[in-house]
Amino acid sequence: MSDQTLTVATTTPWASARSRLAGLGAEARAAARDPAFLAVGILLTGLVLVFTVLPIGTVLIRSLQPKEGMFTWENFLEFFSRRAYYRALINSLILSTASMVLVTTTGFVMAYLCTRGPRVLRGPLTFISLLPFVAPPFAFSVALIILGGRRGFVTQLLGLNVSIYGWPGVLLVQVVSFLPIAFLLIENVLVSLDPSLEDAADDLGARPERILRTVTIPLAWPGTLKAALLVFILAIADFGNPMIIGGGMSLLATDAYSLAVGEQNLRMASVLSVFLVIPSLFLFVIHRYLLRETRVTTITGNLASSQSRRSSPIILIPMLAVAAVVGLVILALFGVIFVGAFTEAIGVRNRFTLAHFVSQFGLQYLWTSIKMALSAGLLAAVGGIVLAYILERKRIPGRGAVEFLALLGLSVPGTVLGLGYLLAFHNPPLALTGTLLIMVLNTGFRELPAAMEAGMSKLRQLDVALEEASADLGVGPVGTFLKVVIPNIGSAFMAGLIYAFMTGMITVSAIAFLVSPGANLASIYILQLAEMGYLGEGCAVSVMLILIVFICVVGLKWIARRTGFDIIRGR
Amino acid sequence: MGDTVLELVDVTKRFGAVAAVAGASGAVHGGELVTFLGPSGCGKTTLLRLVGGFLEADGGSILLEGKPLHGVPPHRRDTAMVFQNYALFPHLSVADNVAYGLKARRLPRGEITARVEELLKTVQLEGFGERRPHQLSGGQQQRVALARALSIQPKVLLLDEPLSNLDAALRVAMRAEIRRLQTALHLTVILVTHDQEEAISMSDRIAIMRHGRFEQVGSPLDVYESPATEFVATFIGRVNLIPGRLSPGPEPSHATFDTWFGTLTLRAPASPLGGSSNSSEVRAVIRPERVLLALPREPLPRNTFRGEVAESTYTGQVVRYTVLLQGKPLRVDAWDPVRVGRFPEGSAVAVQFPEALHLLPAEG
Repeated sequence: MSDQTLTVATTTPWASARSRLAGLGAEARAAARDPAFLAVGILLTGLVLVFTVLPIGTVLIRSLQPKEGMFTWENFLEFFSRRAYYRALINSLILSTASMVLVTTTGFVMAYLCTRGPRVLRGPLTFISLLPFVAPPFAFSVALIILGGRRGFVTQLLGLNVSIYGWPGVLLVQVVSFLPIAFLLIENVLVSLDPSLEDAADDLGARPERILRTVTIPLAWPGTLKAALLVFILAIADFGNPMIIGGGMSLLATDAYSLAVGEQNLRMASVLSVFLVIPSLFLFVIHRYLLRETRVTTITGNLASSQSRRSSPIILIPMLAVAAVVGLVILALFGVIFVGAFTEAIGVRNRFTLAHFVSQFGLQYLWTSIKMALSAGLLAAVGGIVLAYILERKRIPGRGAVEFLALLGLSVPGTVLGLGYLLAFHNPPLALTGTLLIMVLNTGFRELPAAMEAGMSKLRQLDVALEEASADLGVGPVGTFLKVVIPNIGSAFMAGLIYAFMTGMITVSAIAFLVSPGANLASIYILQLAEMGYLGEGCAVSVMLILIVFICVVGLKWIARRTGFDIIRGR
Repeated sequence: MGDTVLELVDVTKRFGAVAAVAGASGAVHGGELVTFLGPSGCGKTTLLRLVGGFLEADGGSILLEGKPLHGVPPHRRDTAMVFQNYALFPHLSVADNVAYGLKARRLPRGEITARVEELLKTVQLEGFGERRPHQLSGGQQQRVALARALSIQPKVLLLDEPLSNLDAALRVAMRAEIRRLQTALHLTVILVTHDQEEAISMSDRIAIMRHGRFEQVGSPLDVYESPATEFVATFIGRVNLIPGRLSPGPEPSHATFDTWFGTLTLRAPASPLGGSSNSSEVRAVIRPERVLLALPREPLPRNTFRGEVAESTYTGQVVRYTVLLQGKPLRVDAWDPVRVGRFPEGSAVAVQFPEALHLLPAEG
């Protein structure tokens, strides 16, 4: 047994903000001594302003312009006067809230079982909870149509007359799609809870149910709340699933798209986007800045404590029932994607075929996707890591603001950024619509925050003394960055690159506004196939995307194992 | 000393291939404080967690007031633990922490409030009930943990290195505090520590552990003055182990002990070595402070030998010498250096041994 106890305390954001303010003058002087990085910092900030802030700003401005040159609330009055518009807002809020509750509950159940449940089930349940991560989220919608759609497999088998389209379908698919992220966050919380607290409760006579209610849940609450807020943001921004399985239900993200692309009503599309941005940004700020509680985690390296985490049947049986249902649904949907990809038409002509894979468009668009995602990944990784270095190490005034603006790419729903690009880059000087470049820029700047965060967290673990030693030995700032910093945070760069590539392969929400017949992507193609009812080919393209994502995840796991840096878990 | 409260019978616990506890047997009596003392990895914490029910033994049995505890989870055991890091619930106030076990037992609200107040008074934390654990100092947190454990009136109180997170001065104060509570409330306590001073100053009995077994169980005086094994002798305090041959002396009440530096006359030692008419190889356990240093003067008194000071370290209350006897080192501690005076390095000294020595069988 080990007797050392390590106490890690993080400072409050307020304290660090105060000290930052106090140091502004000194920072400006220090930055002036480092002109190369000051220049790069200004350049990157400029790019973030143009490619992240400008499009969002354009959407906001457009929402206030009933006509060119006018600024009034007229559009918003129109929004609230027509049920067809404001219903989207109400539906979106209800859907996201419901999804948040369901996903968080399911995530908590799975995480609880994986940390305190029967030992033999922990591995399989973790696997199932993370499995949806490798699939493009909307692939589950395609699978659900095959299973439960109007001509669906299960529907016909049971002679059911209920429709999976609309609320039930979207909710079900969102639970499956967002389970991995909720699971990861909550599991992280449950693992890091000091086991001696639950032991102490047990020791004082509390039965497992009571421990769960009075110790485990209250202590896991802040972390669980963070997971819940993130799920809400993801759910309200979700575009692909409602498109495929929403059955025409009115939601902000999908309606904004239909208004913009279908009816060319950019004005109302912008208004809807504003209502998408407000809750997302609000919750994002809470999530990131207000819930960053001063957490004192006591890590006691005690071999003996591992055995004592246990639970009782009264808790485990209902939880296992939930896990069984969720697990079966996930496995069924996954199975259907694979079977559907190799079957002529599931439930109609159950014959093996490879035809879905060799369709000309599928492979062509997949190739475009790879080119696009790889370029966007490089942009995100290079930009993100350099920006991370400047923000974390160079005492440049306004760092907090730059970081926040860069993070907008992550926090603002894709629909808004898609519409923003459409509005901002349609006309000169930056007439980019219809090109591959606009998709690269859009995806790149949406993924840049992930790489930036990866870089910053890696840099925080890297002792500044290394850089000081390099400077001390006569190497300049740029040389130090290339020779000392990059080799040591290379894992964050690679992880950022792979992660951005992977996300770029399966993104739909923003890109849907930007694709053109000449430059179409595999992920969008699945959407189009599903709309036209070519489900087999939809499954086949999904399978190819799943394989690519799977390879990426394996790569990320490899990096995590070799360097201890896990971008998916964010630590 | 009261009746047996807790009995350990051949308790075994394995982690994979490692036997953390390998056949520990012993008993704890009512109202006594027993310390499990041993180096890191000796199994003392594992054994304590077995008693608390946080681990289940692979073999043997643990009996509380005669009833086997096998399969009884912690919340149904009449034991209470003070955790090394206190494990205070950070989301609950001090009073709610102390009330936690009482609420789990569904006591009436009024009674809980009264009990909590009384307990906080017992640990001298009146008026701290509304605070949160993180607003307290380490020593205060420790008291809350104690009050919380005492709240359920355990038959055995388990203390897992309770003082290891406190600074040196507070540690000494808390030793006395815990001892005071233990005697006043007539508590039966098992304390786990690797700090020998803590063990010696607080315990009624000490159980020295090694490789998952009890090496020796006895009063602090016993284990210090009459260690059963070389491990115990060297683990507790500093020691000289002097090999030699023990033979019957010229008078029946005495024995002679031949060492590398000469022959000592001993009062006839007790068994297992005494009584034999043959001579035998033994090792004498000689604590550094039992040896006296003086200026050499002729003739040398009984059991006194010439030596030379090789090294002297002043530590305040004691001067630690290394004295060479016929070229081989002996540790000697001389107290009160101001009154006694110091012997400079290189000076000749007379080294006097006591007539009563604790003996161990020779190695092997």
